[in-house]
Amino acid sequence: MIPFAHGLVGRADLPIPEWLFGWGAAMVLVVSFVALAVLWPEPRLQQEGWRPLPGGVGRVLASRPVEIVCAALGVFVLGLVVYTGLRGTQTPTANFAPTFIYVIFWLALVPASVLFGDVFRAFNPWRAIGRAIAWLARVAVRGELPAALAYPERLGHWPAVAGIFAFAVMELVASSGDRPENLAIATLVYSVATFIGMALYGVEGWIERGEAFSVYFNLFSRLSPIETRGGVVGLRRPLSGLPALRPLPGTVPLLAVMIGSVTFDGAAEAPFWTNIAPDIAQFFQNLGLSPQSALELTFLVGLIGAILLVYGFYRLGVLGAKSVGGGFTAARLARAFVHSLVPIALAYVAAHYLTLLLFQGQAVGFLASDPLGDGADLFGTADSQIDYGVIGASATWYWQVGFVVAGHVIALTLAHDRAIAIYDNAKLAVRSQYWMLAVMVGFTSLALWLLSLANA
Amino acid sequence: MTSPIAHAGHWAVTVAYFVPVVAFAAWLGITQWRERRRGRRKGGSG
Repeated sequence: MIPFAHGLVGRADLPIPEWLFGWGAAMVLVVSFVALAVLWPEPRLQQEGWRPLPGGVGRVLASRPVEIVCAALGVFVLGLVVYTGLRGTQTPTANFAPTFIYVIFWLALVPASVLFGDVFRAFNPWRAIGRAIAWLARVAVRGELPAALAYPERLGHWPAVAGIFAFAVMELVASSGDRPENLAIATLVYSVATFIGMALYGVEGWIERGEAFSVYFNLFSRLSPIETRGGVVGLRRPLSGLPALRPLPGTVPLLAVMIGSVTFDGAAEAPFWTNIAPDIAQFFQNLGLSPQSALELTFLVGLIGAILLVYGFYRLGVLGAKSVGGGFTAARLARAFVHSLVPIALAYVAAHYLTLLLFQGQAVGFLASDPLGDGADLFGTADSQIDYGVIGASATWYWQVGFVVAGHVIALTLAHDRAIAIYDNAKLAVRSQYWMLAVMVGFTSLALWLLSLANA
Repeated sequence: MTSPIAHAGHWAVTVAYFVPVVAFAAWLGITQWRERRRGRRKGGSG
């Protein structure tokens, strides 16, 4: 449970009550739905229309020197996080590792992926080390290495589900999840697991399907019009990257973990949770657990409950869509529309963590100068402070509502486009989307309610 | 023990957030029911 505050001040100058924004957002979704049904009769996003950036820029941006510089930077930062975590002060806010992992890596890379494409792939330290080791091994044996094992189809995205869930547990459940030493050890453990995965299934095979953070950031990067193909950076039609997503076993649970963990982070501040959590913790204490373990288990139950709630809600929408006919199984529909959950995940992350990113992100200014928290001043910025005036309370709320509404309208658009692509009958396609609209309205209301609690 | 009514203001605000969901679910339920009834009538007359 990290100590960083999400929202710091209340809002007194909104023209209407916060809940009325929820009603407005729902109306925007209904109007968007009607507009899509009337004005969007043919699928438009199923083809990406990718083309390279003009003037050879795309080739330069993805060239080998740029690739090596980015990879080296990624490896350096990985080493820095582990070193500062193990050797620096154990005060979380004074050590480079917690802020870097929870704010820069986990949060700032999300908008970076949406704006610039799959940037994490370029900086991914585990991929860089894996490729370097493979290259060195090829040089050593003076030939090709034995072929990697075929990635089991059934494994799909399940390793990524486990990785993102473990990260959420570290962030939201473990009482010492922000302790630098623990973060460094967790990073080392995850690195070892990743190297084993890459050794078994090949660097790219594991990175594309099993490595949690590669899969996570790649999903967000599919919202970007920028994509690298065959060593060239190019542009594709906006939003066309997500329909091209090939769902694997575990993709739907992965999105449920992504949305559910943010949901729990918000709900953990809600009165209904703060009222029942002590009772659940007491129940676990009565079973013989220590107070700290009981509290952690309570939060684990809450986290799993939030994930199951999100998963169940999506399944409900899918079952509703199935009930209108068309001959699709629920599993087929769940896979067909799972890409529409990505902008919802983005909306949840962007809205919920906006202030954390804007405020705590500034801490990198002084933490870079004093990464160990031992009084160093490497860049002369160790005395810089966080400016909490960069965004006001009302502006924060407007941005949050904007993110939530935009994310859900995009989700609706993606689901509509997929529906008219897979249903033979246009009327059935629209009727199936009544249910997806219900899911979107539900997620929108939940998001705004959680935000109102977090900012209260 | 505090009466739940004492917290009615908080509950009311929470409920207010989910009014669109309830309204939409009700509309969806009614639409489904009418569609099924229409389908049964067509089946019966055919």
